[in-house]
Amino acid sequence: MGLIKAEGGEGVGLGEGLEGVSGRWEVAKVVVVGDRAGGRDFPLLAMVCTFYQKGMCSYGSRCRYDHVKVSHHQASASSSSSNSLPYVASDSVQITYPLMDALNGEFKAASSAPKELTASSKPFVPPGKPAWTQTFEIHTFPENQGGHVPMAVRLADLPICSFAAAGSCPHGEKCPHIHGDLCSICEKHCLHPYRPDERVEHIKLCQKNNKRLEALKLSQEIECSVCLDRVLSKPTAAERKFGLLSECDHPFCISCIRNWRSNSPASGMDVNNAVRACPICRKISYFVIPSVIWYSTKEEKQEIIDNYKAKLKSIDCKYFDFGNGTCPFGTSCFYRHTYKPHAKRPPNFRPCTYRPRQVVVAEEAIENIVRELVIEEELVDLARQLVIEEEELGDLDTEDIGSFLGMSALLMQLGFDDWDSFSDDEN
Amino acid sequence: MLDVSRVQKELMECNRDKAISGVSIVLHDGGSDLSHLSGTITGPVGTPYEGGTFQIDISLPSGYPFEPPKMQFITKVWHPNISSQNGAICLDILKDQWSPALTLKTALLSLQALLSAPEPDDPQDAVVAQQYLREYPTFVATARYWTEVFAKRTSVGIEEKVQKLVEMGFSEDLVKNTLESVNGDENMALEKLCSG
Repeated sequence: MGLIKAEGGEGVGLGEGLEGVSGRWEVAKVVVVGDRAGGRDFPLLAMVCTFYQKGMCSYGSRCRYDHVKVSHHQASASSSSSNSLPYVASDSVQITYPLMDALNGEFKAASSAPKELTASSKPFVPPGKPAWTQTFEIHTFPENQGGHVPMAVRLADLPICSFAAAGSCPHGEKCPHIHGDLCSICEKHCLHPYRPDERVEHIKLCQKNNKRLEALKLSQEIECSVCLDRVLSKPTAAERKFGLLSECDHPFCISCIRNWRSNSPASGMDVNNAVRACPICRKISYFVIPSVIWYSTKEEKQEIIDNYKAKLKSIDCKYFDFGNGTCPFGTSCFYRHTYKPHAKRPPNFRPCTYRPRQVVVAEEAIENIVRELVIEEELVDLARQLVIEEEELGDLDTEDIGSFLGMSALLMQLGFDDWDSFSDDEN
Repeated sequence: MLDVSRVQKELMECNRDKAISGVSIVLHDGGSDLSHLSGTITGPVGTPYEGGTFQIDISLPSGYPFEPPKMQFITKVWHPNISSQNGAICLDILKDQWSPALTLKTALLSLQALLSAPEPDDPQDAVVAQQYLREYPTFVATARYWTEVFAKRTSVGIEEKVQKLVEMGFSEDLVKNTLESVNGDENMALEKLCSG
């Protein structure tokens, strides 16, 4: 049930009242108070009768809408399109069709008195639709004939009953609105019988959702092979993520696999291989893909990887820094390398294709160089900046800042100019 | 930080089928320190270590499972890859080939496999390795003797002791009772039998 409070009503008074707000007015604001029936809010805006403005309202004093005179300019504005209405309360949805009880024949003179309105009698209508597309079935409302709703009945334009779409309609067979066809996937009557495009779209969406749900169900069971916990049952949201390896299909949680890959290993470990390798099959993967869902097919995995790469590609590389810095990963960097218009391109700049990794830098050598360099204030600042940026990125795969820094430091030290020989690694 | 929940899971998992796998892990000295454990493996059948039960001291570094557990034989073993002096083990998975996907159980099973397949070319104990390569029969005899002496519990092989004493001319019932009264010590039982 809802209460309608109409504000304004007298043209002059309304005009004065709203002048300070926007300077344009014509809408008598009606707010539905506490209308929660059917689990939905139906905020409504009642209108000044636009037909009355043109001097042709056939309902006369029985019209549901306010018969007040407004200036010609505003009247034409209101009649052209409901979307151009200048004043709309921000949390209200603008609806311009005649209220249902008016259509049911309970025509009452427009008044500003609070008025009972049965929620169940209101159809769901997409907001922002002009009144004349809401062509209700004529045989149901014979009194509408010759009324002020121009009738061009197009079945595709009819809205479907929202109650049936949400579950069950209290009116059942007698419901004045079209009941949608049953969607076999979501099991709701939400397929519009006369809008084939919408049907196809809905089914597609439903199938996609369903697939995702199934995948999520399967993912629930997957255990991390390192901590032996179910990945999606971890205590914090940040931990409830898989770390996919590019070269094999063994499941780990993102924190375990990152921890292992960034592990400063016990003496004698071959850092470049042991740590990069899958803990189970020892296949070497050069990057880890975070994902909230586990995959069951190759295509799904590829999709996850592609999405991840696309996401990274939309972020500017902090090492490249719009051409001001140098990225150790060169053209195979996952992040975006863009030049600012004013940035100077290196003289030998040429777009390169991917070349496989050729040089393996021993971590010890890197660490020694970093230790030597770290006294330089610039580098300290750089490191600080990197750490901050890493934290901001948060979600993205940001392993082993130290070795990034080390690698770029080494490159600087050695005066390497062939960046591309250091192919992408953990970026 | 030691991953306590993982260690607990591993202990449960390992001890669930210890009768079949032949390996088990308990907390060291029945204490409550999860980072100090002791494991037990049975000597593989068809090797000089058959019938022996070997104790292994396990201490978990704080980085476990990202760092390998430290394992050492407590029971003396004659084996090319295990020090006859201090029980130190030479096994790649306990060093640079460790992987966090390995568990204490799989590590112990690897030790069991090491007992059946020694690697004399990558020795921990040079003396034993030399003997293994040059005088294999002597190696087998020594390993078997060490197993007999150090790796067999007194309760194990009580039938053999009874058999031995019976062969000396004592009645079976008497031997059994005597052995029981001295907790299975063969020499004490013989002394008692001779004196009584």
